[in-house]
This record gives sequence, structure tokens and C-alpha cells, in this order.
Amino acid sequence: MQNGIFKSPIAFAQAPLKPINGIVNGMETAITMADKAIEASRYELLSICDVSALNRFGVKGPNAAEWLAAASLTLPEEKNSWTLQGKRELVLRLGSSEYLIEEPLNSQMVAQLNALPVNQSGVHKVIRNDASFIVSGKLATTLFSEVCAIDLSGDALEENRLVMTVIAGVSVTLLRQMLNGQSVYRIWCDGTFGPYLWKTLLGITEEHGGGAIGFSFYYEIN
Amino acid sequence: MKLLECPINGIRPISEFTYGGEYRNMPNPDTCSDSEWAAYVHYRNGAPGLKKEWWYHTPSGTWFIAERNTMTDKVNRTYLLGQEEAK
Repeated sequence: MQNGIFKSPIAFAQAPLKPINGIVNGMETAITMADKAIEASRYELLSICDVSALNRFGVKGPNAAEWLAAASLTLPEEKNSWTLQGKRELVLRLGSSEYLIEEPLNSQMVAQLNALPVNQSGVHKVIRNDASFIVSGKLATTLFSEVCAIDLSGDALEENRLVMTVIAGVSVTLLRQMLNGQSVYRIWCDGTFGPYLWKTLLGITEEHGGGAIGFSFYYEIN
Repeated sequence: MKLLECPINGIRPISEFTYGGEYRNMPNPDTCSDSEWAAYVHYRNGAPGLKKEWWYHTPSGTWFIAERNTMTDKVNRTYLLGQEEAK
């Protein structure tokens, strides 16, 4: 029996950058992309970071909200909006009856949800295989103006709203959140589109003087 | 740029959508005649006019109905199937 290495869906697209890799939640991921000072300057100007290794849990169906509420989760009231669970885990309401939960490091929420039985009708677990990015920097809206199908310079992402739209031809879920005291954009897409989207966004990012940063810039790894 | 309103996600560029064909009421296969069933399966009405159509918002996976005049390409309204009265 082979013991394969579980790699980030972006791993091969990142290889030319020669990142320092590490294991996060059992997934080999780019921990550091460059010197800390360089990453910090990219972060301020324009940067992209692969956070596909964060744990996620998806559920949908007409009774999904009831099922999550029974698991003591606070859910977004509006369609296409998100909230923080205990100021840590992201809870996204995708449309009317689908939810995505993403936890930071050192959280047990996804494991607890996975351990719960789904033994009622109208509740269906959704297998997630997302590629997920964090985009930061003062030129982020410039980046999105080049590739995003809708205008993000207005109030599209205000008041914890999220949008499901197209970036560079790829269907994505997009929101803006405060992370470590800074406003950043979060992107989720199907993992198989991840390398293409990474290359496209990174190419534009580098044209503007920014670049890639590693996972450890946002999350402290033990 | 052409725009279309998704009932869930709001107004978006048409590039986010896929056309899913005309919405037609299916006759009851247990009670309809063979000719009625054959007409439903094989015939399409190509004459321009106000039609109900299936449209799909790709990023969110939302299927919905658009009432579109295929002569003028004007969309009168869009709604989720079964929620026509709510619009």
C-alpha cells in the first residue's frame, strides 16, 4: 500500500516559486514564499496566499439550517452572507439553503460536525475540495477590476455579504473579512481550477509589484 | 454588456449564465395521448414571442425561470420555479 503525500491543489503551480513547505492539517502547503520583510511589503501592496489547507465542512438541504442550529452554530440570517462563529470559524450561507464552515487552525468544529450523524431528510453533507486564497493589499480592488465579473468597488461586499461570481472565467465564492486586524479578500473555487486561478491572479499581482506570501503569514503554525 | 437578474444573486453579466432551454409544461404521461406525448418530446415552437426559459447561474448553481421575449430579447421577470407568485 502506498502512502501518498496529500498536497495543496495549488502545489504544482507554486513549485516554480520554490516555497518552504510544511504540513498543515495533513496537507503539504507553502508555509513561506520569501523573506518576512518581502512578504510584509507584498502584503501591504498586493499579495495572494494559498490557504486551501484549512479545514472545511459543507452541508445543504431544506433542513440544513435546523441541523446546524442544533449543533449550536449561529447562522447568517441573510442569503449570501457570512458570520463568524465565536469570532473564529467562518460560517458562509451560500444561496438559501447551503452552508460552508471553515475553521482556522487549532479549532475542532469541523471534526465535531463530521462526527455528527446526518440521519434526517433534507440534510446533505457536501464534500469540499476547494482551492482557497487570501488576497490582500491596497491594490486588491485594482486586481479584481481586471478579472472579476462584477464591480467590487461599491458595496457588493459590505455588511458581511458574500458573492458567488466569476473571476478569470472561474466560478468562485468571494468575501471580504478582517484578518489579523487587516481587511482581506477571501476566495474559494473548485480545487481543480485552483492552479489556473492561482497562476492568473499571481501573474497580475506580480505585474503590479506584489507577489505570493506563505500560509504562516496569516496563521501561526505550531 | 448584457445583464440578467438571478433571483438569488441579483443582477449579473450574462457571461455568468447558461441557457437551459424553453420551459414547457409536461403532459401527464399516464393520461395523455401518444400524439400529445410525441409533440411534447419532439416538437419545439421556434416562433418568436414571450417564452418561459430555464437559465442557470453557474457560480452559485442556481436554476431559475426567465420570462423573455425572444423577439425583442427583453426579460420581463425571473423567479425560482414554484415561486412565481412571490415575484
